[in-house]
Amino acid sequence: MPTTPLHFELPESLTAEKFLKKLSKKINFDIDAQQYAIKTYYDSFDWRLYNADMVCELNQSKTSSHITLIDRLTGECLALEEQQAVPKFSGQFRDGRFKTRLAAQIEMRALLPLCSLPYQVYRLNVLNKDQKIVLRITLDEYETLANRVSLQPLKGYDKAAASISYLLENSLKLMPTNGSVLKAALQLQGRQPKDYSSKLAIKLDPKMRADNASIIIYRQLLSAIQNNETSTIADIDTEFLHDYRVAVRRTRAGLSQIKSTLPHKVVAKHAAFFAWLGQITGDTRDLDVYLLSYQQYQAALPETLQADLAPLYEFLKQKQVATQKELAKKLSSSKYRKQLAAWEQYLKKPAVVKEKGSNAKVPIKKLADQRIWKVFKRVLTEGNAINESSPAEALHDLRKTCKKLRYLMEFFQDMYPAKDMKVLLRALKGFQSVLGDFQDYEIQENSIKFFSAEMMENNVASNTFLAMGVLIQYLDSMKCTARNDFAEQFSQFKQTENQAIFKTLFSH
Amino acid sequence: MKIIATYNIKGGVGKTSTAVNLAYLAAQNNYKTLVWDLDPQGASSYYFRVKPKVKGGSKELIAGERELDGLIKATNFENLDLLPADFSFRNLDLVLDTRKKPTQRLKKLLKPLTQEYDFIFLDCPPNISLLSEAIFEASEILLSPIIPTTLSLRTLEQLKKYIKDNKLRHLQLIPFFSMADRRKKMHCEIMETLSKKHQDILTNAIPYASDIERMGWERMPLAAYAKKSRSTDAYQALWQEILQVIE
Repeated sequence: MPTTPLHFELPESLTAEKFLKKLSKKINFDIDAQQYAIKTYYDSFDWRLYNADMVCELNQSKTSSHITLIDRLTGECLALEEQQAVPKFSGQFRDGRFKTRLAAQIEMRALLPLCSLPYQVYRLNVLNKDQKIVLRITLDEYETLANRVSLQPLKGYDKAAASISYLLENSLKLMPTNGSVLKAALQLQGRQPKDYSSKLAIKLDPKMRADNASIIIYRQLLSAIQNNETSTIADIDTEFLHDYRVAVRRTRAGLSQIKSTLPHKVVAKHAAFFAWLGQITGDTRDLDVYLLSYQQYQAALPETLQADLAPLYEFLKQKQVATQKELAKKLSSSKYRKQLAAWEQYLKKPAVVKEKGSNAKVPIKKLADQRIWKVFKRVLTEGNAINESSPAEALHDLRKTCKKLRYLMEFFQDMYPAKDMKVLLRALKGFQSVLGDFQDYEIQENSIKFFSAEMMENNVASNTFLAMGVLIQYLDSMKCTARNDFAEQFSQFKQTENQAIFKTLFSH
Repeated sequence: MKIIATYNIKGGVGKTSTAVNLAYLAAQNNYKTLVWDLDPQGASSYYFRVKPKVKGGSKELIAGERELDGLIKATNFENLDLLPADFSFRNLDLVLDTRKKPTQRLKKLLKPLTQEYDFIFLDCPPNISLLSEAIFEASEILLSPIIPTTLSLRTLEQLKKYIKDNKLRHLQLIPFFSMADRRKKMHCEIMETLSKKHQDILTNAIPYASDIERMGWERMPLAAYAKKSRSTDAYQALWQEILQVIE
């Protein structure tokens, strides 16, 4: 029954009261409830539910409070749970349908309120002659938006939904509309859905001067830093800091890799600031990663040792709280504010006033070609030099070079054929993941060894150290797997087809 | 997902009330729940105000010509659906008999629904027949209401023997007392003796009560019209005990 409209807007002249009067002349229904309510929409900061075509609503009234997960396109209710308030994380929901569907989408992200709408809600049950409900209707009367009627078809009673939908549209002249009022509610606040994404989407004219183009890139990265700053300080969820750090790293890569578009002096000054930002955010991020990996750590242990790992979690949590506090202090300091403001100010200055780097006037596409081609060749050289006896540092260096390549490709993605870029980025991502795993497992292994020394002083039970020992063994085996995987992944990345695309796109 | 059959060889022991009321409680706790009314009398369909009519009747149903999902009706309650009865279900035995592997038939038909529901209650007609064998194969739990009378002992033992003889190892039999009248000395005595002899009988019993009988008049589950009553509490306690036993 996909073609039956289920949501309608009432014309302005038709009040809820008039509508009910008209409807009662046509069909048999009872009003199950009529109450004042507040609807609050929730999503993660990066719109994970919206991107998955879902909407999460908390509906609170005097007598009830429930949270629903709704298919944004059809209006179908996917899951419903009685809740007084919306838990911040999916793990805090009761086990069941809601939690499962939610967790799959938002993972570690927090659910945040987007906007609230007060309204008067009427719940109607359409009844057949046995007083069996064949359709539910809600009538929402808003103060600031057009009133809405929504049909909730019941399984096995499709005909009733179809005939009442027809009646509303044709006899009562209601306007069919799409599922959710979220868009309209956001508009009232001057917002729109998906107004934040951690993915870069930078539009550049290939012919534009390289200095102007790089400033466009830096401005976008600065706004990502600013968008994530407050919630990083408030520690809302781990991904704010993660996205913050990615934007910092991308800026650093831009400053070093989009060569000589800005004057050397400017680059040197600000690069030092961004290097400092990378450094002061590192510890908290590492601890976030350990805490996020905790379940995986636990699952890697024999069942008899799993519970013994708990003191490690507590230790990590305490450490995370302390480093986060430090970080928040630094990100609120005047040193930080001044330097970020200076960068912002620099990016605002019109190009004519600025001193120029030697590549400033080169068309950005030309510079992008050169840089990507050069860094790609460096990846090949460094990768080819690695054999089974190469030290870990060689892989770490290659990892950094790959990151530079990745960021360059992402900055300039829009100037190249989308299909080719997708193939290359996917190949690069696959290769990066094995390099990333190798380094991450090595760092984790070392950190846990290091933590155990600190924990010794806290009178932790001996079995915890036993569990940590097994965990180190597990991390080491994962690190070895990644190391053994390297040759295979590298040969996949540098396969002839990929090299040919790199050559066609960038070697001019 | 758990498939629970409410079953007793004897009739009139409260099978339908059990299926309807426990399914309602499960649904209230956010479990997606289905009741399949397999009794041609269609009592659970009546309680949910759904017409006891299945397109194509028992023949097309058993032949698998119609997906069960397309025959399901939402009830008046959130999370609770019904697969209604049909008068042709009186022939389910005969229809099953015409199929190959008749006792596997219901299990096969129910398979696609196991993704969608957390609990499926099969409201079964009395007797031991080919249909009941198919129900035993399809179910994981056989929830058996017993009235505290001398006959009940016999039927419970018959049922246990049947399960043992037919090696139905996947099936967990959960007996409990139904329509128990604590004012009757005999009921109390039998409950005491039986509970001692059969330790698997649940400790919570459903009383004989007029508010349960009123279900036929109200045409809805007990807890939907009597939110606070001794009988409602008894079903609630029974359901909690069942959840513990099956976990």
